[in-house]
Amino acid sequence: MAGLNGVTISILLFGIGLLGVIFRRDLVVKLLALGLINSAAILCLVSLGARPDGAPPILVPPTATAIVDPLPQAIVLSAIVINFAILALALVFVMLLVERYHTTDSHRIERETAAEEEPWD
Amino acid sequence: MRRAPIGLILAGFGLTAAFCVVVLLGFGFSAPQGAGVERSPDVDRWIEVARQTGAVNVVSAIYLDARLFDTLLEVLVFAVAVLGVRFYLTARGRAEPVESIPESSVVRVAANILLPLILLVGIYITVHGHISPGGGFSGGVIAGSGLLLAAIALGTDAVAARFSRRLSDRLEWGALLGILLVAAVPILFGRAPLSNLLPAGIPGRIGSGGSILLYNGLIGLKVFIGSWVIVRHFVDHRGDI
Amino acid sequence: MGLILLPLVRFLFGGLSIASGRTSRLFGVLALAVDAVLLARLALALAGGAPSVLVVGGWDGGLGITLVGDRIGLTFAALAWGLGVAVVLYTWKDALRPYFFMLLHLLIGASYVLVFTRDLFNAYVILELLTLASFLLVGYERRPRQIWASLRYLILCSLGMSFFLLGIAVVYYHTGSLDLAEISAQIAADPGSAWVRLAASLLIGGVAVKAGIFLFSLWLPAAHARAMPAVSALLSGLVIKMGVVQLFRLSEVFPVGLTFTVLGMTTGLLGIVYAVQTYDVKKLLAFSTLSQIGYLLIGFGAGTAAARLGALDYAVAHGLFKALLFLAVGEASRIVGTSDLRALILNRNSIPTATRVALIVGTLGIVGMPPLAGFAAKAVLGSGLHPTAFHAAVALISVGTAVSFAKILPLLAARSSGRSAWNHIAAYSWLGGGVVLFLPLSAAIVPRSLLSATWQWPAYVEAFAAILVGLGLHRLLRNRPFQLPRRIFCIEEGTLVVLAGFFLVYILLQFA
Repeated sequence: MAGLNGVTISILLFGIGLLGVIFRRDLVVKLLALGLINSAAILCLVSLGARPDGAPPILVPPTATAIVDPLPQAIVLSAIVINFAILALALVFVMLLVERYHTTDSHRIERETAAEEEPWD
Repeated sequence: MRRAPIGLILAGFGLTAAFCVVVLLGFGFSAPQGAGVERSPDVDRWIEVARQTGAVNVVSAIYLDARLFDTLLEVLVFAVAVLGVRFYLTARGRAEPVESIPESSVVRVAANILLPLILLVGIYITVHGHISPGGGFSGGVIAGSGLLLAAIALGTDAVAARFSRRLSDRLEWGALLGILLVAAVPILFGRAPLSNLLPAGIPGRIGSGGSILLYNGLIGLKVFIGSWVIVRHFVDHRGDI
Repeated sequence: MGLILLPLVRFLFGGLSIASGRTSRLFGVLALAVDAVLLARLALALAGGAPSVLVVGGWDGGLGITLVGDRIGLTFAALAWGLGVAVVLYTWKDALRPYFFMLLHLLIGASYVLVFTRDLFNAYVILELLTLASFLLVGYERRPRQIWASLRYLILCSLGMSFFLLGIAVVYYHTGSLDLAEISAQIAADPGSAWVRLAASLLIGGVAVKAGIFLFSLWLPAAHARAMPAVSALLSGLVIKMGVVQLFRLSEVFPVGLTFTVLGMTTGLLGIVYAVQTYDVKKLLAFSTLSQIGYLLIGFGAGTAAARLGALDYAVAHGLFKALLFLAVGEASRIVGTSDLRALILNRNSIPTATRVALIVGTLGIVGMPPLAGFAAKAVLGSGLHPTAFHAAVALISVGTAVSFAKILPLLAARSSGRSAWNHIAAYSWLGGGVVLFLPLSAAIVPRSLLSATWQWPAYVEAFAAILVGLGLHRLLRNRPFQLPRRIFCIEEGTLVVLAGFFLVYILLQFA
């Protein structure tokens, strides 16, 4: 069916992104993988709108008989901007962390934060 | 660097693979051909929506009229992102100005020629958002990329001289307030807030679509200035691009 | 119209707060006053008959966003308002930038939308806005440990919201609509389909990251413990409840009874186990939040009206006394200079009287001493739980809460010196008043017939027994520290645990 290939690819990308967040230690790569996860979810939603022989949803009369579903395209606009905002701010935070700990390795930051942790924890 | 324990690796790959399989099954096999394909509104419904708003681009009609609330919230998210970048980077203090490597004259001349064209394309796409694909977000991003090109090729100081700090901050904040006010203004006319106030007009012309044009313009301005403000803050507090 | 004016006005004030410098506080007060009027109008409309329904922009429900001002929504909107008052009071004298107030307005305005919305994608956008505002607030003081805690929060919440978006995709694929009412109708017509379970597990797994459920919200202890006191109060009191409200809305649509009760028991018990062994007061409060969400989930999952309304009642009660505790503990930690419980106990005479009273009221509330907030809500909740397994779980969690809070007792019995600032006293009185006078407040949330559970003797026996057993257990366990796995709070393991939690929910849903 028309949209299912896009959906399959998006789920595979989602899985790759998940592996990236879990296994890569560099914070910037983790954020890239998170961006991949978000983009994959967006791709999934947009691919659902695909229709066989669908025309773009610009309805200048006389209109086509079948158009692609415009609703997913409209709602992912919000999702894209939100993901952009989150990525930008996360990068700023990574910058602040690098300034303090001089590394982007999440394990090292974890260890140094735990070392600074109060001993009564 | 220690390796991740073998249990973690197995669990990670296993769970991720299982996740992909489960979700794909949920999309593929539980309903023949995906019932949503039949259940989503058909073309007549979208024609009705387009007729009501006056915008021929149905996607614009949806996210700038029917679901305007979500777009408003997302503009707020964008504004908070710009403010957040400013707040967190100003804590670090100004970076020393880095000696910027001057670009070759070919790049500079080309940037000087291209910049007005890029800005024009951005404005065109913003203004025609309700007639053809585009809108405030894409147009604003295109115009913002033009400024970024100018900043890389001509130097950030050259661009910052045109867009002073106060001007860009005021414009950005003004665009946000403008969007909120345009959303609230229908109350004065007795209509529900966030509804389309201006007349629908002739479909296909620029003057159609009611307040969609207004929203597109304001959002385009906001994204344009917002992306420039983010770049400027990064440059101010880290050196040069 | 009030339904949409409420958040719009808040956002307008938020936008204005950035421009002004000195008048941010006045804008805060003004915004709260305007909100009070709008909320009162909505409450009157509700009392008059049908809840107000609004489709934003005047479109019909299938395409537009539906907001319904029902009793539950109004209750949580009032909670958001009340916590807003407390935070504005508490931070009155602090030198806070206008940026803080903008984030505060955004947080409260977003909460106003989430409690009323009946649209899935609107919920997604609002949850992301809440994530953004709260993670910026956690990192407000820009200290490295706060930055790391909030970055972990952000990564996990963003992951959760991606699950939610995938869930929306599955739902849209199969129903063609984003409106909860329409989705509910289509699911009711065909409840056994496989896609319902997949969508439910994706949606619930996504929201669970924000809602404070143990397996999913492993970012919570670090983030709540390291943030500013006012921010911790808002996070534990309000933002978590927003996740819970969304879970409640989802529970009305999807068949999640068994899942919620199992999740509730897991988070209740695991949270308590961690709370018992920590000696950092703020982490204690954070873990206890994780565990108290267990009550709410058990109540939603049990299915009876008494259990659900009791759970919502408890959510409000918890918002009040947890915020009170965080504010009081914040002040005490600031005065003593540390949040180590043992150091606090050593220096307990330097804690001002008002703070100590606030701590007493908060602790009594959370352990369920009659007739305060926790007891009243738990009684209503308990009256709706018929299988004894659920009742036993709730009782066990109550005992655990008493055990973990028994450590604070030496702090409460002290000779205090010094005075708190007037604004702190005002904030404590506002919240403490809510905790103490909770029974009359519950009358607005719970119908009179269910409220009768609060003056029947089994509830009192249970409450006192839980407290006494808890005190006894604390004596036994006091000198036997035990080690618990800490690695799960790191980011990689945290992500894996979220994935595992998703599968747990998915498997549980197969038995629904």
